[in-house]
Amino acid sequence: MFGYRISWAQLAWFGHRLSGIGVLVYLFMHIVENATLAFGPDVYDFTQTLFRNLPIRLGEILLMAALVYHSLNGLRVIVMDFWPATTAWYRPLTYGVIIATIAAMIPLGLIMIAPYAPWGRIL
Amino acid sequence: MTAQGRRIWPVVGDPMRRNPSRAARARPVEPGFERFMWYFMRISGLLLVFLALGHMLIMHVLVALTGQEISFAFVTSRWGSPFWRIYDLLLLLLAMIHGVNGARIIVGDYVERGGLRAFLVGIMLAAAFVWLLLGILVVATFDPNTAKFVGPFS
Repeated sequence: MFGYRISWAQLAWFGHRLSGIGVLVYLFMHIVENATLAFGPDVYDFTQTLFRNLPIRLGEILLMAALVYHSLNGLRVIVMDFWPATTAWYRPLTYGVIIATIAAMIPLGLIMIAPYAPWGRIL
Repeated sequence: MTAQGRRIWPVVGDPMRRNPSRAARARPVEPGFERFMWYFMRISGLLLVFLALGHMLIMHVLVALTGQEISFAFVTSRWGSPFWRIYDLLLLLLAMIHGVNGARIIVGDYVERGGLRAFLVGIMLAAAFVWLLLGILVVATFDPNTAKFVGPFS
């Protein structure tokens, strides 16, 4: 994809862009979806039923992961931009962002997938 | 690593090193639109961490944990409070500007031709403006009593 050996720093940068585009595309869809509120309860409640299935739920979990990653990595960018001395730890900070994203997505993903999972409940 | 590469900031030479965060772009030196947007991305980003993550946590985690469901009645109750309307309007406004500026920067990185770049950015800005207006209208004018009107598409 890059044509050369990639580092975690480059992957973090690429992931920031990819997750940002993903969330932006979702935002456009989300505004259209919410605009059906103007047509009253029947239309809106019907629209919501279109979102209650496994593929959409998996997409929502992916959206949550994109948002968590983009947020944490964005905080790292802010910290490193405004406190340049912290760039000395850019590698552990980047690993930390990736590990924290995975760690946060374990409970969040479990809660979100619960209605569609064989066990069917959250706890 | 060269001695020059070890300097923290500002580092000259390799563009990847010149940027302190090594994740986004370096702060533009001249004051102006690009520098304003550099600051805007970071300030709005910090606010969006709370606004957007908070929104997702409420809608996808707390709603599930409390056994609720997102419906017209849920929205009516939620937007009955000015706090949530202002929260959602602020989230919408910041997310759209932050997102479209990010997309503009990505297009600028990959599209070299000035005409094509201006065309793509123009389309994105126009779409963002229309969608933002639609979003603001939906949040600001939502009224559960008048919303019973069924529009031309149903």
